[in-house]
Amino acid sequence: MKLRRVGLYASVGLLSVILLYPLYILFLVAFEPPRYTLDSLFPRQLPGGFTLTNLLTALGSFDLIDPLVKSLEVALLVAALALALGIPAAYGLSRLPPVLSYGITTTLFVVNMMPAITIAVPISAEFISLGLYDSVPGLALLQELVVLPLATFILVGAFQAIPREIEWQARVDGAGLLRTVYRTLVPLARSGIVAAFLLSWMFSWDEFTFAVILSPLKPTLPVVIYQNLTRGNLLATTAFAIVMTVPVIVVTVLLQRHLKGEELAGGLRG
Amino acid sequence: MESSPRPPVPLGERSDPGRRAHRRFRDVGVPLLFLLPALVYVLYFAFYPSAEVIYLSFQTPFQHGVLTNYVELQDLGLVTAIEDTVIVTVGALAIQLVLGMAIATILTKEFRGKGIFASLAILPIGIATVVGAFAFTLIFPSVGGYANSALVGVGLPSVDWLHPNGRALLTIMLADSWKNTPLVTLILLAGLTTIPRNLYEAAAIDGAGAVRRLFYVTLPNLRRFIAIALIIRGISEFNIFALPLILVGNNPPLLTVLVYNLYSTTPTIYQSAAAASVLLGFVGVFIAIVIAAGGTRR
Repeated sequence: MKLRRVGLYASVGLLSVILLYPLYILFLVAFEPPRYTLDSLFPRQLPGGFTLTNLLTALGSFDLIDPLVKSLEVALLVAALALALGIPAAYGLSRLPPVLSYGITTTLFVVNMMPAITIAVPISAEFISLGLYDSVPGLALLQELVVLPLATFILVGAFQAIPREIEWQARVDGAGLLRTVYRTLVPLARSGIVAAFLLSWMFSWDEFTFAVILSPLKPTLPVVIYQNLTRGNLLATTAFAIVMTVPVIVVTVLLQRHLKGEELAGGLRG
Repeated sequence: MESSPRPPVPLGERSDPGRRAHRRFRDVGVPLLFLLPALVYVLYFAFYPSAEVIYLSFQTPFQHGVLTNYVELQDLGLVTAIEDTVIVTVGALAIQLVLGMAIATILTKEFRGKGIFASLAILPIGIATVVGAFAFTLIFPSVGGYANSALVGVGLPSVDWLHPNGRALLTIMLADSWKNTPLVTLILLAGLTTIPRNLYEAAAIDGAGAVRRLFYVTLPNLRRFIAIALIIRGISEFNIFALPLILVGNNPPLLTVLVYNLYSTTPTIYQSAAAASVLLGFVGVFIAIVIAAGGTRR
């Protein structure tokens, strides 16, 4: 029994190191003098010093604000759209007879699995002629494709958890259907809605494929990171990576309760 | 979706055909109206471009309805890109299943520090793919870097982690598995919590050791959840783009990277449309198999 305990803690320790290591390296490169990290062929594994010069220099000499603002705008729009389209869709889906809801769930699943790059390539030409290339709404509209199915599935779960008697009661009390959905059901589905909003925000914040093809000149943060990396500006890359990572860690912690296998499984059920 | 109870209907209304049509509209039409904006949007932005990309793939600046692009793609490394993508998909799935199973199993046990470990187990979900990819370029470069510094530190020779003879593919698998194992862990954990504890107790009383319990109790009961994880990750794995682009780029390119390279370096869209159609074809076949096998049915 004791041996098994030791084995358990050893595996927990080993797996923790693997899970943390890439992030640890990122922080080493960000906060150590470059002679210990980027300028060293075989960099040391343990911290050798601390400096803020890397980040301050990078942030002083590269434009961080524009990509940050662009990323924030796109992500907020994507999350807002996910609720605007997803809440009615989820209500409808949770009330449809099984035959129809199965077909629609499958459609959403297919959309969720579609390769982003095959959609982005033909759309880029259309966006140039429509003036949507490099724009916030254009990028948000396409990122929404990945996000909307997941947001809808989370919201369907939230609506199904509400007893239908509550809905009927509101209708009997004289509320119209829209009023019932938005005034009675939406407040009750609050935690699912918050989860759908945050998850959508996070997906957009992280999204790269649509962003690099449809918005390369006014890039979002992931694209700026990629561009700086290919130009060899490694310290700028590090600084942007840190800026990008901190808010998402906060959101992940907020979401932890909602990150469940069932909800991320894209409509597939066990 | 389980069939939901309907609101009570007054006796006098039941056989009236006008009322029945009204009820039908209320039960089917109204929910469909709610779904309409999302469906129109999704169908327009997902399916119309897909149709367009296939149409474009059979065109050149001078001809319509020809296979020229596909023929040219064979000289541009299409077959190797497909092979490499399949290798990465299979390898990464294997790593993610094993690691995800190990982490999920640990998370079903009670131990000190479990809360912290549970947070660490999902941490990579919160790290953007490009950020993770950048960290892995620091760990696994061609020359030097953190992995090699560890190898040299214990007296082993250093390794070219991006060597195009297949080691580059291994590096992609490792980096991708770091980023995506948490999703597999969450799915398998959801499955593990559905297995009744007394099955294990009964197996233990019958004298089954840990290995036999894994193969005769855990895995059979997890079958559907393993299938879900394989489907989700398998299709997504075929689509990974940022990670291989940043880690190994064009040397060798996966299918998605090949599409992007053709898109950004050739003067017309047609060759990249053909490569994109090949990618779409593979993903389409996967999806069709999944749907035929019962897919999203609950």
